[in-house]
Amino acid sequence: MKYLNKPIKEINKLLKDKKIKPTDLLDEVYASIEANKDLNAYITLNKEEAYKKAKELESIEVDNLLFGIPIAVKDNICTKGLRTTAASHILENFVPIYDATVVEKINEKNMIIIGKTNMDEFAMGSSSRTSYFGAPKNPWNHDKISGGSSGGSATTVAAGDVLFALGSDTGGSIRQPASYTGLVGMKPTYGRVSRYGLIAFASSLDQIGPMTNNVYNNALLLNVLSGKDNKDLTSIETDEDFTRLIGKPLKDVKVAVPNFFMSDIVSDEIREKVKETIKILEDNKIKVDYIDMKYIDKAVTLYQIIAMGEASSNLARFDGIRYGSSYENPENIYDLYVKTRSRGFGAEVKRRIMVGSYLLSGENAKIYYNKALSIRDDIAKEFDKVFEKYDYIIGPTTTTTAYNLDDPMDDPSKSFMDDVLVIPVNMAGIPGLNIPIGLSKDNMPIGMQIIAPKYEEAKIYQLASFLEEKINFGGDTNE
Amino acid sequence: MKNKLTKEEVLHVADLARIEVTKEELEKYQVELKKLLDDVEKINEVENYDDEIMIAPWTNNTTLRSDVEGPMLDPKEVLLNAPHHTANYIAVPTVINENESEGA
Amino acid sequence: MSKYLPTIGIEVHVELKTNTKIFSNSRNGYGSVVNSLTNVVDLGYPGTLPTLNEEVINLGIKAATVLNCKIRRKMHFDRKNYFYPDNPKNYQITQNDTPIGYDGYVEINDDGVMKKIYIEEMHIEEDTCKSTHRKDNTYLDFNRAGVPLIEIVTKPCMTTPNEAKLYLEKLRELLFYTDVSDCKMEEGSMRADANISLRKKESDPFGTKVEIKNIGSISNVKLSLEKEIARQEKMLDNNESFKEQTRRFDSKLNDTVLMRVKETGNDYRYFPEPDIPFVEITDEMIENVKKTIPMLPDERREKYIELGISEINSNKLVQNRDLSDYINDLLDEKIDFQVAANLLLGDISAYLNKEEKTIEETTLNIERFIDLVNNVSNKTISSKNLKDILETIMTKEDSIEKIISSSDVQNITDENLLTEVVDKIIDANPESVNDYKNGHDRAIKYLMGQIMKETKGGANPALVMSILKDKLDN
Repeated sequence: MKYLNKPIKEINKLLKDKKIKPTDLLDEVYASIEANKDLNAYITLNKEEAYKKAKELESIEVDNLLFGIPIAVKDNICTKGLRTTAASHILENFVPIYDATVVEKINEKNMIIIGKTNMDEFAMGSSSRTSYFGAPKNPWNHDKISGGSSGGSATTVAAGDVLFALGSDTGGSIRQPASYTGLVGMKPTYGRVSRYGLIAFASSLDQIGPMTNNVYNNALLLNVLSGKDNKDLTSIETDEDFTRLIGKPLKDVKVAVPNFFMSDIVSDEIREKVKETIKILEDNKIKVDYIDMKYIDKAVTLYQIIAMGEASSNLARFDGIRYGSSYENPENIYDLYVKTRSRGFGAEVKRRIMVGSYLLSGENAKIYYNKALSIRDDIAKEFDKVFEKYDYIIGPTTTTTAYNLDDPMDDPSKSFMDDVLVIPVNMAGIPGLNIPIGLSKDNMPIGMQIIAPKYEEAKIYQLASFLEEKINFGGDTNE
Repeated sequence: MKNKLTKEEVLHVADLARIEVTKEELEKYQVELKKLLDDVEKINEVENYDDEIMIAPWTNNTTLRSDVEGPMLDPKEVLLNAPHHTANYIAVPTVINENESEGA
Repeated sequence: MSKYLPTIGIEVHVELKTNTKIFSNSRNGYGSVVNSLTNVVDLGYPGTLPTLNEEVINLGIKAATVLNCKIRRKMHFDRKNYFYPDNPKNYQITQNDTPIGYDGYVEINDDGVMKKIYIEEMHIEEDTCKSTHRKDNTYLDFNRAGVPLIEIVTKPCMTTPNEAKLYLEKLRELLFYTDVSDCKMEEGSMRADANISLRKKESDPFGTKVEIKNIGSISNVKLSLEKEIARQEKMLDNNESFKEQTRRFDSKLNDTVLMRVKETGNDYRYFPEPDIPFVEITDEMIENVKKTIPMLPDERREKYIELGISEINSNKLVQNRDLSDYINDLLDEKIDFQVAANLLLGDISAYLNKEEKTIEETTLNIERFIDLVNNVSNKTISSKNLKDILETIMTKEDSIEKIISSSDVQNITDENLLTEVVDKIIDANPESVNDYKNGHDRAIKYLMGQIMKETKGGANPALVMSILKDKLDN
């Protein structure tokens, strides 16, 4: 590696001084992707267009830190003219006719999209094994999953192909794969990043976020992604620099650790690692309390109801009429629907939309769905209550390290339980970030999540950068 | 508690979701869907919650859009991804029951 | 009197008069090239999200206000899930939990008896795309997809087909006058469905409900309900039972025909739309909308009658909004409103229809119209002569006086001149004079005619008659 292991500011200087060109970066990126082909991180590469763009950039002034920098985009984010499949057979040949807002923002900064990353089909899963295109592999151990649903983005950044990737997080889909692959992954406040152009899984939970191998780069990319978008009514105004608190001293900081996060659902090894990290905090005069939080042990149940319910509606549009694959020669319209959808969707997706339909049908809407929305409000209030006293909530991101790719997939609850620690954050709409805190005995990354109140991403980066420096996980790509 | 759904229950939700369940798959779904439905039953373990609901973690109320026209697609773009089209229309198998739509 | 008591409820969809669609900024238009008024949001493309048109909320507030509804101050939208090819997302964004308006009424006048028709709720939603069914395929045009609609649902409170008709006429009038919708049933911008059931007496539970869908005109709503009542009465008389069902009115058969029997309730799997945050309706928004509400039809009618216009003409004026708006601009003037209404509904309407113009497109501004009314009411010009100069009046800028004086049609009110003519005609028609004196009243009409002929129609008829009678009776 010549350039891509350097801090972003150095790369920027090289570009600015015309010592290197954007195409040099692309050469390195695509050589690395080729060498790591076996990892199956990508569904579609954008090589031709990427080089075209890189060439164009040669005559444009380098005006920002991310200028000319390659980025990978999760394949559920629409890119005009570039195939976008959501890792589903039903969108295998779908070429969007518009760009997602985040893609427009990336393009405005003249970043270069190198390809679309592998993922769980429609982001439904926790191991990326529901992908129609086969699962990506964990660069730390090719027999292991890289998590999901943003498994391809995690894989490619962890493999060192590229410095930046976009993920999406509905119930941990950024943080959990970041944890399994030793990356920094941020699920921003709900509304911080426009969802326009993100193929919806569960609209009230989905959020796009950055995946990088250090905290600074992560904050830098969030600067680009965030902001009010007139095309997304749920987006919020942002006018801040998320890097501003990085490296600033932590004063009078109080941290809460929910007992649920340290209960026996989490492996001993991970609990130990988190305790070591807590010790680092305490050694630096940060007060850490173990607390009880109501409802968070039920977040997975709420998630199952809300996410499957919304998904059953969001995925209804895939009917083979306006776009996507379509069953040929159906007997009638009903036949077109059922054959297109049965052949187009994979098993996990079909299961979830059937259960979601059931949960919304007839009286069930009251029994399950409305009740879930009520308790969801209470979870959010419970977080608010904790944040009256504490600046952060921390805990392990996952209950285990990455498991084997060939572990059985026959338990439909398993993919939900993998995310038991990350889902509460999506329920409350607050930001959460995974920071790697060490390696397991079998040399797999262990991650910790840092959770803060709404809009406090900058504070999360502050604590994360502090830990990054103290722990010095995985090397020297920091600023 | 029974450990699987009835065939009729599976076929009903499959119909709602417009998913075909073949005879071979039926048994599998009877078990798998039941497992997920058992999971969500856990919601009934929750007591002492207030009635207020959260539809989504919205920060603001809706900002209304001015009633000003924006760019539109050329009919050719509309048809670009459509598997079946004739003239400028997107085509589907004939819907026999006219006016069946309940939407409007 | 029938032995059954009908219970009727009406659901109306109206398309709102906005520039753009409800959830996207593509054009809300009719009659354009197929699939030319869409964007990715209307087509339900993956990843797209709805925005919410401000004007839709304003028109919703307006409609709720004139339908005497309470206005929901904080509302959300809901998804109604059903698969159908005209439904791009396979869910429709509508309002199930929190309709913008509720508990309203409109008042109808059923042959002098006033009755309130109660409105259960009115909500905002998106229209579907237009499908054309052919033997080989069904063809989809998404221009209509996402056009804003208001659905207005009455309580089951009407008891006769005529009440349903009067309600719809009233509703159409109100929504048209407030520019909520152009309410053209033939273009589908107003669509009505009727629910009807029969029972023996008011204390009985409601009978089996039949829905009649998408009826093409208000008169057909009445007709289809009459036919449906007759059909159901016959079945009930024969003790035949029938299931809840949906029928449609076939205007060729002149009767309702079965579309489908409702088996179980439709399962729309409603849930709150997460993509659209709460919409808050403030006092200020309501006040601003109220300022844009013009004088409503009932008030107009009352006002016209108060000003001396006949009830028939008052109704006719209200039915013609252009003319009603025109006359409303001069309500404070001291003119003969009966004459003004006659002019507008008579010669002027005939002229406008012939020329296919609106009154605003002519040169007849308010000032000149007032002059014209005064000249007619003081009989300077007869209505017969008016016809000859109307085109000039409607196309030239000259003053009314100038046009009358220069056109040789001025009403002859000179008594001396007329007396001369009368004498001349009496001398020339001795038999007629005799006939009159022998009691044949018809003779005087003949003489009148001769005088008018002599004056080329210019004579003031009332004056001529009085002079003529004077002469003959003395």
